[in-house]
Amino acid sequence: MRNSMRLLLASCGTLALAGAASADTVRIGITQNNVGIDSYQTTYERAFIEAADANPDVEVIVLDAGGDVARQISQMQDLIQQNVDAIIVWPTDGQALVPAVRNAHREGVPVIVTNSNIAEAGMDFIAAFSGPNNIQQGIYSAEMMCEALDGEGQIVQITGMPGYTTAIERQQGFDDRLAELCPGVTQLDIQPGDWNRERAQRTMETLLTRFDNIDGVYSGDDNMGVGALNAALAAGRAEGMVFIGATNFAVGYDAMERGEYWGSVYQSPVDDARAALQTALDVLAGEDVPKLNYFDTPKITQENMHEFDRPVF
Amino acid sequence: MLLTRLKAGGPAIAKQGILVAFIVFMIAFSLMSDRFLSADNIMSVFRQSAIIGVMAIGVTIVVIGGNLDLSVGSMLSFATVLVVDLHDKIGPELAIPVMIMATLCLGAINGFLIGILRLNSLIVTLGMLSAIQGLVLIYSGGQNVDIADQSGTWFAVFGRGAVFGIATPIIIFLGLALIFHVIMTTMPFGRRVHAVGGNPTASVFSGIPRSRIVFMTYLISALCVAIAAIILGSRVMGSQNNVGQGYELQVLAAVILGGTSLLGGSGSILRTVLGVLMLAFIQNGLILMGQPYYTQWLVTWAVIIVAVWLDVAAKRGRLFSPIA
Repeated sequence: MRNSMRLLLASCGTLALAGAASADTVRIGITQNNVGIDSYQTTYERAFIEAADANPDVEVIVLDAGGDVARQISQMQDLIQQNVDAIIVWPTDGQALVPAVRNAHREGVPVIVTNSNIAEAGMDFIAAFSGPNNIQQGIYSAEMMCEALDGEGQIVQITGMPGYTTAIERQQGFDDRLAELCPGVTQLDIQPGDWNRERAQRTMETLLTRFDNIDGVYSGDDNMGVGALNAALAAGRAEGMVFIGATNFAVGYDAMERGEYWGSVYQSPVDDARAALQTALDVLAGEDVPKLNYFDTPKITQENMHEFDRPVF
Repeated sequence: MLLTRLKAGGPAIAKQGILVAFIVFMIAFSLMSDRFLSADNIMSVFRQSAIIGVMAIGVTIVVIGGNLDLSVGSMLSFATVLVVDLHDKIGPELAIPVMIMATLCLGAINGFLIGILRLNSLIVTLGMLSAIQGLVLIYSGGQNVDIADQSGTWFAVFGRGAVFGIATPIIIFLGLALIFHVIMTTMPFGRRVHAVGGNPTASVFSGIPRSRIVFMTYLISALCVAIAAIILGSRVMGSQNNVGQGYELQVLAAVILGGTSLLGGSGSILRTVLGVLMLAFIQNGLILMGQPYYTQWLVTWAVIIVAVWLDVAAKRGRLFSPIA
């Protein structure tokens, strides 16, 4: 592993020497979180390399931290040593990475954070953040829920792993928007599904026992949403129940096609990767880039789903 | 008062600390929620507990044999991803035996390292926990797997089916518990596991093949994980590649709650079943009462501590240690 990384670095170094002749070429290093742990990250990496290859003025050094924050910090130091023009980082740990980002900042290398943001303390040292807006995703889900129920009904919410930023922000966006837009919809209970389909199924089974009347279910992602749907189908109570999720998964997409699932939020790893590269290029071009750059994660419902590709994960 | 009661109760009742605690909790919860003791809810909790329960049977046997198995969570991810992925590729009738064989191989690695090479089980199975998770990621490429034809496959019977109105997972869970209870209490193998866990040196001098017995306990644990994976895959009709993450601790909690000694040599499958059910009923009961999730963590922990305390107290006949 380490040897192949060195090899990669060495070959990239050679490439850089070759490329140094052309003055316009920019060199961007990326250190990712944990490629291979899920298909979102795997697809992201592929899309990032493709986008970079398509642009003749860009050279990229692609690294992966394997989920290890210590390795990510040393990768950032390596990239600084190699005099890259910019570093893109997908934080393994938003808090522990702050000193490394500050170090890059001091060395004059702009850092672009991708997908999930760094801790507040590091915000002064980054050039920009590029990624999905989880609060907005929660807002979209609340709007879909409101529309699907015609502003009237009782729902339950199944959240992601307690303590995870993504879970907290989606819930916050959903709760706030629902209360504001749809006072006629009440939330009977909010319970965690831990991003785990089986756990979400168990939680939903218990909620079905507890409440005779559930009109809708909002889940923090489609994986859990399909677990909740499974529970309702097994209890014979899915008919007329509205299921809304976030992060459209292939299983959610298929359930939507069958008419069992109402809607979700479409988040593409390809868009995520392209947005990160573009943000880095904009920063290097000297453009006035805002600190927070969100790529679009649109609503996907039974009606418009065929405008989207079936998700790869 | 309680002290004298515990003493007066004699050894028969004293051994049933967990049963007493279980009954007390069931009564308490049923007073707080009228749906708690409904037939539907009881059935639902039994069904939910089957996956953890089947795994806990195997781990109980490993623990009685004087070792630990922390790899069962990752092993469950491995087995579930494998059986679900192969389901659409080679059909369920082949996917199930292939998955069982592959999972038994993992159990055999545990058994070889701990039984034959005599390495520390905590270290070996902790290492296997992450090694197997890595294996799953290599196999799946990070992809979640799903069964395409969810309503047409007979594979659904294991997680979603019912026989005489009783859900299949419950039948598998309780049936397996009964079989292994009989094996552990009446057959030579069961006595040998107890002997190996209770006093390894003495067991060797008594001519018990210690290495082979420990090896067997890990094979049984892997077999239980494979069966749990069939239930899980069939119930969910898909699998994330980390689906079993954290399950090893729930399983271990149930085993400890059931009073199986972590030092080895003593324990009971049926009491593990009670431990599994108690944890499942607690989680269910707290959601029925509308409690937020963190109370589940707190209460579960507190219950384990109190149950273990009552258990120890019942065994020594007093609530506090005689040595103050």
